[in-house]
Amino acid sequence: MFSVSHKTAFVVDHCPYMAESCRQLIECDMLTKSRSQGVIPLAPVSKSLWTCAIECSMEYCRILFDVYPTWKLVNYIVSDSEVHILNSWKQEDQNTHELMAALAAVGPPNPRQDPECCSVLHGLVAAVESLCKITEYQHESRTTLMDTADRVANRGRIICLTNAKSDTHVRMLEDCVLETIQEQNKRAAGSDRLMPIQQCELVLVHIYPQGEETLVSDRQKKELSSMLSSEVHSVRAGRYLASKLNVLVQQHFDLASTTITNIPMKPTLNVFEQEEQHANTSANYDVELLHHRDAHMEFIKSGDLHMAGSTSRDSGLKETVTLKWCTPRTNSVELHYCTGAYRISPVDVNSRPSSCLTNFLLNGRSVLLEQPRKSGSKVISHMLSSHGGEIFLHVLNSTRSTLEDPPSISEGCGGRVTDYRITDFGEFMRENRLTPFPDSMIDAAGRTPVERAKSQLERYTRYWPMIISQTTIFNMQAVVPLANLIVKDTLTDEDVLTCQKTVYNLVDMERKSDPLPISTVGSRGKGPKRDEQYRIMWNELETLVKAHVGTSERHQRVLECISACRSKPPEEEERKKRGRKREDKEDKTEKNGKDTEEKGWTTDSERLKGVMEREKDEQSECEIIKDSPDSPEPLNKKPRLATEEQQPPEKSKGPVSLLTLWTNRITQANSRKHQEFAGRLSSVNNKAELYQHLKEENGMDVHENGKATR
Amino acid sequence: MPTAVLLDSSLSMTRPVSVEGSEEFQRKNLAVHGLTMLFEHMATNYRLEFTSLVSFSSLWEVLVPFTRDYNTLQEALNNLEDYDKTCLEAALQGVSNIVQQEWGTSCPCQVVLVTDGALGIGRGSLRHSLQTVKQRVEDKKFPLPFPFPSKLYVMCIANAEELQATDSMDNLEQLINLNGGEGQIYTMEGPLCLKSVQSMFGKLIDQAYSPFHAVLRCGNLTSDVQVFPRPEPVTIDEEVDPMPRTVQTEGDEIGTGATDDTEEETSTNQMAGKSPNFCVLLHGSLKVEGMVALVQLGPDWFGMLYSQADSKKKSNLMMSLFEPGSEPLPWLGRISQLGPASDAAENPYGEDDSKSPFPIQPKHKRSYAQNVTVWIKASGLQTDVQKILRNARKLPEKTQTFYKELNRLRKAALAFGFWELLKSMAELLERECTLLSDSAHPDAAFQLSHAAQQLKLASSGDSKYAAYEHNITPMLTDFSGGGGAHRI
Repeated sequence: MFSVSHKTAFVVDHCPYMAESCRQLIECDMLTKSRSQGVIPLAPVSKSLWTCAIECSMEYCRILFDVYPTWKLVNYIVSDSEVHILNSWKQEDQNTHELMAALAAVGPPNPRQDPECCSVLHGLVAAVESLCKITEYQHESRTTLMDTADRVANRGRIICLTNAKSDTHVRMLEDCVLETIQEQNKRAAGSDRLMPIQQCELVLVHIYPQGEETLVSDRQKKELSSMLSSEVHSVRAGRYLASKLNVLVQQHFDLASTTITNIPMKPTLNVFEQEEQHANTSANYDVELLHHRDAHMEFIKSGDLHMAGSTSRDSGLKETVTLKWCTPRTNSVELHYCTGAYRISPVDVNSRPSSCLTNFLLNGRSVLLEQPRKSGSKVISHMLSSHGGEIFLHVLNSTRSTLEDPPSISEGCGGRVTDYRITDFGEFMRENRLTPFPDSMIDAAGRTPVERAKSQLERYTRYWPMIISQTTIFNMQAVVPLANLIVKDTLTDEDVLTCQKTVYNLVDMERKSDPLPISTVGSRGKGPKRDEQYRIMWNELETLVKAHVGTSERHQRVLECISACRSKPPEEEERKKRGRKREDKEDKTEKNGKDTEEKGWTTDSERLKGVMEREKDEQSECEIIKDSPDSPEPLNKKPRLATEEQQPPEKSKGPVSLLTLWTNRITQANSRKHQEFAGRLSSVNNKAELYQHLKEENGMDVHENGKATR
Repeated sequence: MPTAVLLDSSLSMTRPVSVEGSEEFQRKNLAVHGLTMLFEHMATNYRLEFTSLVSFSSLWEVLVPFTRDYNTLQEALNNLEDYDKTCLEAALQGVSNIVQQEWGTSCPCQVVLVTDGALGIGRGSLRHSLQTVKQRVEDKKFPLPFPFPSKLYVMCIANAEELQATDSMDNLEQLINLNGGEGQIYTMEGPLCLKSVQSMFGKLIDQAYSPFHAVLRCGNLTSDVQVFPRPEPVTIDEEVDPMPRTVQTEGDEIGTGATDDTEEETSTNQMAGKSPNFCVLLHGSLKVEGMVALVQLGPDWFGMLYSQADSKKKSNLMMSLFEPGSEPLPWLGRISQLGPASDAAENPYGEDDSKSPFPIQPKHKRSYAQNVTVWIKASGLQTDVQKILRNARKLPEKTQTFYKELNRLRKAALAFGFWELLKSMAELLERECTLLSDSAHPDAAFQLSHAAQQLKLASSGDSKYAAYEHNITPMLTDFSGGGGAHRI
């Protein structure tokens, strides 16, 4: 995390000799033929060593900031008779615009300054001091780790662009850096805001004008001490320096290069005027991009790097993988099997082909990239696409996927259920969508935004039946205002009023005997009677509101309103008698908490079972009342047999329940009113064998489905 | 994660196992028995995983290419033939090739080597391979470590004592080390019999083929899920705190957002049944709404759930794991800073769902999005100069563009300390002025000499004129409609 590349200090020599020309002439007076008569062309311009150093180091930073917008920091230092520190390690200082403005303020070196008082040494010392300074990231890691804070490392790199006098001069600079590190480390040991340097890489780049012999020799990386390694690059100014720094930025930050080839540039894609173009406008262009080398992992591992069209250029140091542009056929967004996405930076950022490509991508289009193979089939291995103004090279899986041919979700658990509340849950998801909040946004309870999101999900799902036939209230437009409000964390008085209005509206509906959207699934006939429907509806509404009653006093008021208003039809004497007992139990189960309730509306099959075992015990009782829309009338009559069958185990469990007492009494009372069936009287364990007489008559077995009854 | 089974079919596998009484077994029979057990386990618990069967002796042969059809694998086990001697290196190379051909080098794969531990003699033996491992030329490298993430499980139809009596155990251990320590050697305990082979394969199953069961939770709505392929623990290369991260079995769905990128895919699948299941509901709604759900897998580890459809109308709930970290996708920002949209002062998605707070734009634009100036190649500089001249010839119509380009060049020249260019540009503009035709608009001459003068002033380095943020503004003339402005 805190490798050498976490901190890069640039030290650029600003001494008078850097004002010297690099002796590479640039013709900027390009006269067009028609205008050239009688005009003397302007003398070509040439950059100074300083200008070369600045623009190449800026290019280094540009690529770095494009690929690593965070975590990789640059501190830019200019050195002459004094030190000019152009920025800090702060993340907000990490952009080329700020640096350019600061460089403009420094201006080019003054050739008339006394060379004796100028030296790059000042800058090197400042760079070491700067490497000791703690970055925001190091600080954050140290504070979060506390006990293991000493494990946060401090490493860095110094890139020094200078014009050295000789190899001895170079030695002197290296010695100075080493001494300063030792000195500064002692100082840093006693400070909170400083950290000793554990490892430092010094990269000395000696720049000399074209056509001159170099006075400094190249040297490979060498360990000067356990803390300091140093390497020397002797480079001619101009494009040689530019390609050297391009190679260095790739080495320092694990970058690799991809060249997109065959980019068709139709006139419609042009961003610049036609004038400077060649006659043929539909030529194919190449664009080179840099990105993290992991984007080539598949090629590197499979040894395909060369097969994939990799070519070496510029002294063999620089390799690029060539991938072919595939013109996007449609604009449709496809999800690809993507195994990684890496930020890119174009090598020639403002060349026409580059800006055509990047603008194309920034406008929201994607480009698939094909791996040119010598043999046969074409393979799409990468995709370029932008997200939020940043372009990423996506690595696509080009081999067989282990995820092919997945089973359909309908083959799994719950896959056969057809009445899921898909639309309602879609609405639920939209209500619970996430959005970014500023870093400081924590609420009064100290919760982060994501914690608030989780608690909202918890509230919104306290009562949320998954299928349509499990619910009445969520199928009713009239309940919507209350259902939307009751899940909220806080209610206003106005909200409470809206809820109350909703309840009054329901009361009104009941009075008018408006039909309810009660599901008839699982019940025979035309379903429950109207008053039974309303009872089910009120119960469900209460369940919903009770789940939120603890949230606030206003939520409580909504429940009170429902309890006060809900119907207890007085006209049905018999129902009232039955109902009272039932409601007692109901209250009990509801107090038992959510667990029971959840079980209550879990599954279809359980519900059916519940219907069968209707008066078995409290829980199944509760199930039916809670959510079963089934009419109790036919059920009361029908499954008597089953009921009695269930009783013995009930009895054996211990004290007789009220329900059992009641059913026993009713059974007794009823039995007095009619003559018992002969079958039931002679039954064994409540089972009576049918057609016993046949057996007796034929004197043989009747099991064979009538065959034996000849 | 696919499995390649590498089964030793050398003659030594036909050695009989001494069993008291009953029938006589060959080591091969024990191997087949163990593999049958493994295949049966996979057919029930891992039916979405691919397995291949390769047999080897001095040569190797793919008996069954990667398949989910465990009957075919079983059938192949029942029709094994016996061959000559053991040459493990060639076989490992073979497995390496078939895995790469099928799945590439990024897909993790388990290799199960079943052998009696008699690893050959002379050339081609494992001993010989290991002795020469350091003297290989580039294209004859030892196949380990495999180029793909892998685990090498060696199932020995032999007990540890037997292997330690020769150097077999050492050689096998060296093999695992060559694979970066990724793998394990299993030996049989006690006498070689059906029971001990079962217990050995049982251990392998527990270690490498235990199904991944988890609970998907969205508030109070939950669902038991099984995840294919099994998400493996990840060790992040973080020097401060290198610790493996495992996927917690409680998946917390924390809300939904809209994004379109994936890192690593696994498919979530459910056990059979007919009662309503939250996964099916979630999948249906995600599919209809075209949304994805964010899922938390552990502290600072996230993923997303979405509906994945193959070409054949079948779709399932897919979970993609992001790289562990608090900000896995830059365009979503820090996950901990994502909160309910309803908490925002204004609906970030717009009243009619026409907007989105994503993607989050970075604070600074990238270089390719901000028209930077780079003059490293001469052509870059020439293009910029020509652009100014082209606009200069079209004054006053192009006054705005002319000054825009001029200021861009001025800024870059000042930053690069390239004052010479400013002087040259000034001269070029002055010459343009003299080349103006008689029919040219009079304003053109004023603007050109004004611009040239400003550039010259900037090139002097005088802080009054050379300030970076300063822009040269068009001169107000009678012609440019500035009414009452000063004239030179």
